[in-house]
Amino acid sequence: MIAVALRNLRHRPGGFIATFLSAFLGAALIMAFAALLDTASGLSAAEGNDSLVTTAMVGGGWCLVIVAFAVTSTLSLAVRQRSEQIALLRRAGATGPQIRRMVVGEALAVALLASAIAVPAGWLLGRVLVSLLKDTGQVVAAVSPGFGGIALALGFGVTLLGSFAAGLATARRILASSSRRERPRLRRLGAVLFLLIGANCAVLTATLMDGKGIDAMQTAGQAGIWASIGLALLAPELLRLVTVVLGPLVRVFGVAGDLAVTGVHSRTRQLASAVMPVLLFTGIATGTVYMQGIEDRAAEGQIQPEYAQDIQTLNYVVVGMITLFVAIMLVNTLVAATTHRRREFAQQRLAGATTGQVLAMVSLEGVLITVTGVLGGLAASMFTILPFGSARADQIWPSESPWAFAIVACSAAVLTAFATIQTTSRTVRGPATTAVRA
Amino acid sequence: MTDIVRVEELYKTYEGGVTALDGVTAGFAAGSFTAVMGPSGSGKSTLLQCAAGLDRPTGGRVFIDGTELTATKDTPMTKFRRTRVGFVFQDYNLLPSLTVEQNTVLSLRLAGRRPDRTRVHAVLDRLGLGDRLHELPERLSGGQRQRVAVARALVTEPAVIFADEPTGALDLRSAREVLTLLRSIVHDHGRTVVMVTHDPVAAAYADSVVFLADGRLAGSLRAPTADAVAERLAHLGDRVGGVLA
Ligand SMILES: Nc1ncnc2c1ncn2[C@@H]1O[C@H](COP(=O)(O)OP(=O)(O)OP(=O)(O)O)[C@@H](O)[C@H]1O
Ligand SMILES: [Mg+2]
Repeated sequence: MIAVALRNLRHRPGGFIATFLSAFLGAALIMAFAALLDTASGLSAAEGNDSLVTTAMVGGGWCLVIVAFAVTSTLSLAVRQRSEQIALLRRAGATGPQIRRMVVGEALAVALLASAIAVPAGWLLGRVLVSLLKDTGQVVAAVSPGFGGIALALGFGVTLLGSFAAGLATARRILASSSRRERPRLRRLGAVLFLLIGANCAVLTATLMDGKGIDAMQTAGQAGIWASIGLALLAPELLRLVTVVLGPLVRVFGVAGDLAVTGVHSRTRQLASAVMPVLLFTGIATGTVYMQGIEDRAAEGQIQPEYAQDIQTLNYVVVGMITLFVAIMLVNTLVAATTHRRREFAQQRLAGATTGQVLAMVSLEGVLITVTGVLGGLAASMFTILPFGSARADQIWPSESPWAFAIVACSAAVLTAFATIQTTSRTVRGPATTAVRA
Repeated sequence: MTDIVRVEELYKTYEGGVTALDGVTAGFAAGSFTAVMGPSGSGKSTLLQCAAGLDRPTGGRVFIDGTELTATKDTPMTKFRRTRVGFVFQDYNLLPSLTVEQNTVLSLRLAGRRPDRTRVHAVLDRLGLGDRLHELPERLSGGQRQRVAVARALVTEPAVIFADEPTGALDLRSAREVLTLLRSIVHDHGRTVVMVTHDPVAAAYADSVVFLADGRLAGSLRAPTADAVAERLAHLGDRVGGVLA
C-alpha cells in the first residue's frame, strides 16, 4: 500500500499541492520561530534572551494551532476528493488497514518533502524575525541569528507528527463514511470547548485585567483566537444557517442561484472547509487590529511600560504571519476544492449550462462562503474587542472607525472571488465530454 | 425529406493522435429514427458528440435544422444546443445533488424556460418514474437513471435527440420500453432520433441503420431486422479484425 501511495503522489501530484503548501508554510513558520530559541541559547537576559523566548513561544504556539488545523483540513479535502479511487480500491479487495497505510503514507511523504523544502524559507524568516526584534531594540544588535537543532527538530517533528495525526484522522473518517454518515459530535464538542475557553479569556480580560493597562492584551488576544477556532469548527452549521437566511435572495438569480443553494446543502462540508480560513482570517485580523487601535489611543500621553513596544511588535508580527498564512490557506483550499469539481461542472455544461452560468453559480457560492466567514469572524473578534475596550478604555464599543473591518472583509471577499473564479474558469476550459471522464 | 442534422466531411483527432472520425458525411432526415452501429472504438460516440455540438470536430461542418453549429462560438452553441438538441449519455450524467425532477428540468431551466410541471410529470410517469420524483440519483438503479436521462432529453422538445447506448444498462423490459418510447416520439410526434447501440434487437426498432468502422461510414441498412443487422455486424467485425491483425 505504501507503493500505491507513492505512485499516487507521482501520478496525481495536483491533488496534493494544497496539502503540500500548507505543510510547507507551516514548517517554515515553525522553523522560523523555533530558530529564535536557537538564537536565544547562550544569550543572557540583558542581551534579549527573554524577548526571543517569549516571541518564539507565543508566535510558535499560535502557528502550531493554525498549522495543525490547516494540514488536517487540506488533507481531508484531498483525500475526500479521491473517495472514488478509494472506493475502487476497497471493491478490489483492499482492507481498512491497507487504506489507512496508504493515506498515512501519502501524508507522511508529503510532509517530509514539505519540511525539507521549508528549511531555507524557515532560515530566512528566522533572520527576518531576529532583525525585527533588533530594530525595536528588544535584542542587542550584536546577536547573530541562529538556526540549528531546535529549529530543525521542531520543524520536522511537528510537521511530520501533525501530518501523521491528520492522516490517521482522515483515514478513519473515510473508512467510517463508506458505511455510515459522518458524525459531527466530536467537531461540535471541540467547537463548544474552544468557544468556552474564548469566553473565559474574554471574561478574565473584562474583570481581572481591568485597569491593568496593556497587560490585558494577553488574554484579550487569546479570547479572539480561541473563539475564531471554535466558530471555524462550526463552519458547516453556520454556512447552512446563512444559506437558509440568504437563500431567497440568492435564488433571485435564477437557476444559477438554485444550483448554488442546492450545492451548499449537498456539499456543505467541502464548502465549509473554505469558510474556515475566511473566518479565521477575519476574526484574528479584525480582533488584533482593533485591539491595537484601542491600545494606541489609550496609551496616548501616558507613560508606557517599556515592554509595550515588544507587545506591539509581537502583535503585528504574529497577526501578519497568521494572516498571510490563512490568506494563502484560503486560496489554497478554494483552488483545491474547485479544481475537483471539474466533473460536476462538465455535467452541468452537458446539461446545457454555459460557462457564464457555471461561473455565476460558483460566484454565488463564493458570496455565501464569504458572508458566513466574515460574519463569523466578526463575531469572534468581539471576544477580543469588547472586553479589551472595557478593560483598557472603559468603553465597550470601540470608537475606532469601522474602516479597518471593511478593509479586512473586502480582502476576504477579494481573495475568495479571485481564487474561485480564476480556478473555475480554468476548470471549465476544454470540451465537457472529455472532462466528465476525468 | 429535409435533413434535420447534416454532417459534412467530419474529422476528429484527439490529443494524442487517435483519429476517431475520418471524413464522415451523413444526413439524418426529419422524422427519422436512425441507429448507428459499429465495433467498439469505431467513433460512434465521437460522431454523436460532434453532431450534437458537445464537442468540436477537428475538421468539417455540422448543421442542425439549417444552422451551422461549427460556425458558432461556445456560448451560443450551448444556448442553441440546450433547446434544440437532446442528448442521452451512455453514463447518464445526472447531477448527484439534484432530485429526479430537478435533473429532468435542468436543461429547460438553464435555458431560462419555466417547466410545465404537468407535462414533466406526465413524461416521468410514462417512464415509470412517477413515484420517484424527489429521489436523488444515487438511490436509483442504472436503468432508472437512464430513464431520467431520457426524460431530460424529452422535456425540452428538441428538434433531434441523440442517444448514446441508451439501453446499455437496462434489463430487457425497460430497454423495450425506452425503445418503444423513442420510436413513438419519432412516429407519433414527428421528432428525429439518432441512437448508438451495440444490440441488433435495439437497432431493429429504428428505420435505418448506419454502420461505422474505423471512423468511416461502412454502409447502411433500411428497415433493419435484428438478423440482418447481426449478419452485417459480423462481416464488419471480420473486416475490421482483418485490418487490425
Ligand atoms: N477524450 C478522448 N481522448 C482521446 N481519445 C479518445 C477520446 N474519446 C475517444 N477516444 C478514442 O477515439 C476512438 C473512438 O472512440 P469512441 O468513444 O467514439 O468509440 P465508440 O465507437 O463510441 O466505442 P464504444 O462502442 O466502445 O463506446 C477510440 O479509439 C478512443 O480511444
Ligand atoms: Mg461509445
